[in-house]
Amino acid sequence: MRPIIITFFLFAICTLAEAQQNFDASLIPKELLPYASSVVRDKEETVEVQGLDNTIYHIKEAVTILNKNGDDQAHIEIEHDKSRVIKYVKGVVYNEFGKQTAKFSESDFDDNSAWDGFSLFTDTRVKHYSPSVIQYPYTIAYEYELRLKQTLGLPDWDPTPEIGTAVEKSTFTFSCKPDFNIRYKENNITSKVTISKNLAGLKTFTWQAENLKAIKNEPYSPYSKNYLSSVQIAPQNFSYYGIGGSFTNWSELGKWIYDKLVADRQVLPAETIEHIKDITKDIADPKLKAKKIYEYMQYKTHYISVQLGIGGIQPFLAADVDKQNYGDCKALVNYTQALLKAVNIDSYYCVVKSGRAFKVGMPADFPDVEGDHIILCLPFKNDTTWADCTSQTNPFGYLGDFTDDRTVLACTPEGGKLMHTPKYTTENNLQSRKASFVINEAGELSGSMSTIFKGAEYDDRDYLLDEAKTERVKMLQKVYALNNMDIESLDLKQDKSFDPSTTETIKLRARDYASLTDGKYYFMLNPANRIEEPPRQVRNRLNSVYINRGHTQLDEITYSVPAGYHLEKEPLNVAIDKPFGKFTATLTLTGNKLLYKRHLQIIDGSYSKDTYQDLVDFYQSVVDADNYTVSLVKNP
Amino acid sequence: MKKTLLILLILSGLGKLAVAQDFPYGTITEEEMNMKKYDKDTSAHAVVLQEYGKARINLGNDDNIKVFYEYHVKIKIFDAKGFDNGTVKIPVYNNSDGDRYESVEGITGITYYKDDNGNAQSVNLESKTIYPVKESKHLAYYNFALPGLRNGCVIEYKYKLESPYWWDFQTWKFQSDIPKVYSEYEVHIPAFWVFNASLKGFLKLTRSTAEIERQCFSAGSASCDCSQLVYGMKDIPAFVEEDYMTSEKNFLSAINFELSDYTNPYTGTKTKWTKEWKDIDYQLKDEFNFGGQLKKKGLFKDRIVPVTAGKTDELSKAKAVYAYIQKSFKWNEYTGIYSADGLSKALDAHSGNDADINLSLVNALTVAGLNTETVLLSTRENGIVNTLYPVISDFNYVIAKLNIGDKSYLLDATDPLLPFGTLPLRCLNDKGRVFSLDKPSYWMDLNQPQKEKNTYTLDFTLQDDGKVKGTLVHYSIGYEAYKKRKKIKKFNSVDEYVEDLNEKMQKTKILKSEINNLDSLELPLEERYEIEMNLYDKVNSNRLSFNPFFLDKTDTNPFKLTERLYPVDWGMPSEDTFILTMHLPANYTIEAPPQLMNISLPINGGKFLTGYEPADKSFTFSNLIQFNKSVYSTQEYPYLKELYNKIIQSEKAEIVFKKK
Repeated sequence: MRPIIITFFLFAICTLAEAQQNFDASLIPKELLPYASSVVRDKEETVEVQGLDNTIYHIKEAVTILNKNGDDQAHIEIEHDKSRVIKYVKGVVYNEFGKQTAKFSESDFDDNSAWDGFSLFTDTRVKHYSPSVIQYPYTIAYEYELRLKQTLGLPDWDPTPEIGTAVEKSTFTFSCKPDFNIRYKENNITSKVTISKNLAGLKTFTWQAENLKAIKNEPYSPYSKNYLSSVQIAPQNFSYYGIGGSFTNWSELGKWIYDKLVADRQVLPAETIEHIKDITKDIADPKLKAKKIYEYMQYKTHYISVQLGIGGIQPFLAADVDKQNYGDCKALVNYTQALLKAVNIDSYYCVVKSGRAFKVGMPADFPDVEGDHIILCLPFKNDTTWADCTSQTNPFGYLGDFTDDRTVLACTPEGGKLMHTPKYTTENNLQSRKASFVINEAGELSGSMSTIFKGAEYDDRDYLLDEAKTERVKMLQKVYALNNMDIESLDLKQDKSFDPSTTETIKLRARDYASLTDGKYYFMLNPANRIEEPPRQVRNRLNSVYINRGHTQLDEITYSVPAGYHLEKEPLNVAIDKPFGKFTATLTLTGNKLLYKRHLQIIDGSYSKDTYQDLVDFYQSVVDADNYTVSLVKNP
Repeated sequence: MKKTLLILLILSGLGKLAVAQDFPYGTITEEEMNMKKYDKDTSAHAVVLQEYGKARINLGNDDNIKVFYEYHVKIKIFDAKGFDNGTVKIPVYNNSDGDRYESVEGITGITYYKDDNGNAQSVNLESKTIYPVKESKHLAYYNFALPGLRNGCVIEYKYKLESPYWWDFQTWKFQSDIPKVYSEYEVHIPAFWVFNASLKGFLKLTRSTAEIERQCFSAGSASCDCSQLVYGMKDIPAFVEEDYMTSEKNFLSAINFELSDYTNPYTGTKTKWTKEWKDIDYQLKDEFNFGGQLKKKGLFKDRIVPVTAGKTDELSKAKAVYAYIQKSFKWNEYTGIYSADGLSKALDAHSGNDADINLSLVNALTVAGLNTETVLLSTRENGIVNTLYPVISDFNYVIAKLNIGDKSYLLDATDPLLPFGTLPLRCLNDKGRVFSLDKPSYWMDLNQPQKEKNTYTLDFTLQDDGKVKGTLVHYSIGYEAYKKRKKIKKFNSVDEYVEDLNEKMQKTKILKSEINNLDSLELPLEERYEIEMNLYDKVNSNRLSFNPFFLDKTDTNPFKLTERLYPVDWGMPSEDTFILTMHLPANYTIEAPPQLMNISLPINGGKFLTGYEPADKSFTFSNLIQFNKSVYSTQEYPYLKELYNKIIQSEKAEIVFKKK
């Protein structure tokens, strides 16, 4: 009889525990409903470090889906691999009234390769599950536990989920033995940490967030970490794929990366070293030597990503890249370093957070494993030079907008150090266009147009390189909204010096560019560079305005128009000057020469949230000016 | 487009000797090495120099019948944009519930290049860099990247694949996204099996031979001859996709094999696989996950009674049942003609593929006493079905055909926003085959009378402050209404939709809004806005110009190519009407009215028409853009392009108001 009693006893506890939470959708606080298609009712994340190779990560979440748009929030996805093992996962579905309607377990999940869309191979897999519920609202409550066989990349806490989701309650608890030292960083946290000791004698750190409203998409918002709540945790002593280490500052972390992941992987075959010495023997200037080597590397290799085990953070051997001619960013930087070493040029292996939308740097005050890309730094005296080794086309020293203007971690034998990549300024990022056109009696436009791209815009036309003329023409027809454009000739020149530029010259013809109606000519004044839509307005904006990158556009176009006509409307004459940008556009008709000048400058930086409407108005004025139609009437 | 060509497999016995054979592996000519560009297509980043495939049905070591497939290719790579040809993914399928994957062996690869000193070199693919990836329960890949790629290199690789799924005989694609100098496929089919081969696409075979290979197959005590068929094609252009075209499968040159019948070599039993439609009808009827499910009427008896309660006429019963099935399922976005796990399970899970949902619909309508058939079709993405002979694997979707009197309605319940009798765009693809349990199947045209239609009616008054105030009424009709409902439902509420609209329009303020018929799926969706627009900073100049196309002006032609290879396929006709009445301040008159347009496409294919009617202190301007066809042929293309050109031109013109 005894076993049955025990079973009953356990069962009773379970039922009680389940019964505590009521997921009736009507209990969601009303203020959480605006803009929400789902609401996290209760989320508990716990991380418990049990040993350097053993971290238990437990997630328990209940989320109510209010309508079809929230279905994605009911989709559970768990990434796993050999060092991130799923211990269990289970869950329950409740209807609108909080009554259980279905249950699921690990066997209901599908398991797929977590292919990122570009890697040749990655060993990460993903288990995923979506409940099928046709009646809204409904609630899905699930929990799972992962065992992480490492302590270097400890889970962070990001309580604010995707756009369109509100949060009733979310808690995060980190626990470890008293001798396991951690540092933590709170970003925009209102209720501070609670530190205590639990029954098992572990140190615990707990954070909690409540009643977070669903966020709306606000264009020109700053990087989300700068205004949303999050907590990051970094260990002091750690183990990663069996490799131990310890750090409390960037120097120690950078040294660990250098010593354990990179240092012994730069051996090259003797003949490659010879070849490198040979091709650089006549060059005296180390920077020019490095340029030659970089160009050799570009010509010889191309980017292919393989992420396998510790290879996720450790580069391929330089000798393998030498043989296979391919590698990912780490492998290609490591290889290039090895090539440079053959002629005694020092270089750094630099970890960076890449991305065009935001420039995110390594925070000086919180050393932690971050970053998703590796670039190369060459510390020439008074002339620090940077290079991205995954590009086959970039000029030496050109980083582009993927890694510019941000703090990176350079990993050197002497230790890690923070460095800042160069910035492309508003003035640097230039698109300058000059065109001279004739519009004949029939309304046909012909002439040539030449555009220079510099700074972050240098590579805007790279996709046209290596394409035959027919393909280039097809591609440019999509770039220039110039109706009936027929490109007669096209020339693309790249100056790959240390201040690189691209020049595009097109000879073109477009019939019916000007339409002739009732003896009047109508045509678009700005043929090549129109902004069609201003950014959307945002009512009750919460975020400040952030412009990530500045740029300058100069357009100067002359039209020879049929003689004996005058302008029907007031000529265009706009000048706006704002802290975030300048715009001027003018039209003058002298004889039969019509001159159009346009100057647009957007200045990067952070501006107050009240600036936003100003920005919208600014762009609306640009849109209006860009869509100006010239109408010419015959002189009396 | 019916370019399907039937190649008969009936052998005369006198066929020319087919001397097909694989090209030697591991050799390269001086000419291949030094090739700088491909003369027949100088825009190519890479070209297939030679490609050879061979497929043979035979016994495997485990005594199971298998297809033994070999693939071998040699590719010249001119520049870095051709490097992706050096990254190879070989897919292997598991079409069983268990773990019967196709197997791959003997992957070898080699790259030939000129080293830094200009000497010819080669490097082999290392087997440790071949990565098997299990993608899902039914699909895995062998991935590898050939080593040593650089501009001007030549790559070569080959592999063997063994497939237990012999009824799914390997298709050969002659055409791909890079051009090919020569491609050849050699097929050995023992006489126990009969396949229909069909060539798709515009290109012609440059080689097609057939001969008999004596006693090439034996199993147990049985043996037979084989057909040895060789198909070759020379100078194959790259396949380039164009905008507004349907599935590339309809146009890409490829040869497909469809099993017709086979004889079990051990027992001598002959099985007709697909031969005539009556065989397919029988087979479908018998198939547990098709005909078997259509017999499960019992599942619906109790469910349908309350749904149709009180409804007397057939149409309102049908509509009630359709709405009920729409609301009972969430489509899992899988397509197929068979129920995945049976309707009973699907009903319990509230989830299923198109067949689960629409076979349920057929059953439910039948239970409600309505004459309903099932239509098999191929979605636009899946390509056009072969109507010359039955190819069951061409179909990938099922819908219902309801017959009331002499009218019939095509129904798809996978989307709760679809109105009764409207099909989603994916289903509008040539022909479907109508199937029922008690009658022979037959073809029907899937061209539906449905249309995408918009009408805008604006009544505006220009005020002294330069603002324009008035009402805008927009009706979205037919398929357009469905699309609009989908768009509105992306917001959590109608208010959030209107707010979004308001935020997107900088110069226009929505003062009042009303959206009607959002849930009455069969009625046009009506949006009624009271708006205020900042048209001019202030009204003080003597002349004001006004572009009546301010709401939606076309600036660039969607058609840029001088000529097209493939038809423009929009799926259904469309029509946009716009009527604006503008009241002017008392002190203004119209100086220049707009020039009127009336342009038509040939054979009533469509038109662009503008109208203008002045009145006292006001005028009415209207325009109509109409496309009457779903598909425009390549011959009609220049006219279509020119029509757009004219639309753009005329939309530039402005109306001028003058102070009296």
